[in-house]
Amino acid sequence: MKPVAIGLAVVFFILAALYATGTLQFGAHEVGGRAHVPHLKHAVLFAILGGLSLVWLRFAGNASTGASAR
Amino acid sequence: MTWLQAMILAVLQGVSELFPISSLGHTVLVPAILHWKIDRSDPTFLAFVVALHLGTALALLVFYRDDWVRITRALVASIARGKLSDDPSERIGWLLVVGTIPVALLGVFFEKPVRQLFGSSALVASFLIINAGIMFAGETLRQRSVRAGAAGEVVRSLPSLPWADAVKVGLAQGAALFPGISRSGSSIVAGLLLRLSHDDAARYSFLLATPVIFAASVLEVPQLFAPESHDILAQAVVGGVLAAITAYASVAFLTRYFHANDLRPFGWYCLIFGAVSLALTLAKVIA
Repeated sequence: MKPVAIGLAVVFFILAALYATGTLQFGAHEVGGRAHVPHLKHAVLFAILGGLSLVWLRFAGNASTGASAR
Repeated sequence: MTWLQAMILAVLQGVSELFPISSLGHTVLVPAILHWKIDRSDPTFLAFVVALHLGTALALLVFYRDDWVRITRALVASIARGKLSDDPSERIGWLLVVGTIPVALLGVFFEKPVRQLFGSSALVASFLIINAGIMFAGETLRQRSVRAGAAGEVVRSLPSLPWADAVKVGLAQGAALFPGISRSGSSIVAGLLLRLSHDDAARYSFLLATPVIFAASVLEVPQLFAPESHDILAQAVVGGVLAAITAYASVAFLTRYFHANDLRPFGWYCLIFGAVSLALTLAKVIA
């Protein structure tokens, strides 16, 4: 589970950065025809998902440590 | 927008956001029925709506303040520990996190296109009738499962809700993207079908709504202080306070109401209001 959690965290933080800088516009509807508009809601959502992936990594790390100790 | 219109909309928002009757449906249909000339896409109106949502979210936070303190402490402790425990508050906290993810994703990606596509009065009235159908169907299926199951096996407590079921309730809440479908109604029905009591289904629905409404409105707060919103700032502040007071009274009423009652009265209300609104729209009495 740890590699999945790390992979998800990386992907989510990259997506957050891309939306925050306006590089990524997918699924954003308030651009009004302008290019490279930052999308705060999308960026915050993906940053939170990235943070939650790190929390999952912490839980997964402890679970594997516990399993190897047994 | 006049002060009277602003205050009526604030009360309407505070009540209908938490009663399972669709706040969005009401804020589309009531101004249309009263022939108010309100441009819903105007930035000043959007700023006003942000203040109403912020007031509603604050009312929910204050009403459930003890729960949120327990849940936040339990979540922080579990992250620090790196392990899940049997603490019910911790379990509810993670259920809220898991249930919020689908509705947050759906809201961020689909809210605007769905509301643009389905924002006409006729469609909103139709969705209000569908909302009634959802509540009637939910209560009927719930009663069937109660009759079919042995007492004690029918209802489970909120902390015993499986993770997958928390996701299902979150997805059900996403149905409220359609104007006329109630956020609390759809998530309470989902909770009932997943064998929660009316009490717990309503509590989970209100707790689940809090971070979504709060985050969505906080992210829009800069709109309140945009230069074009200065004229409406006083109305927005007073409206936000009024929405908070009515939302608090609504959640206080509903938590007591669901001890011994079900969703059907709200279903009847949505059916009648939706049908009358649809008839008025088809007769071209309202636009």
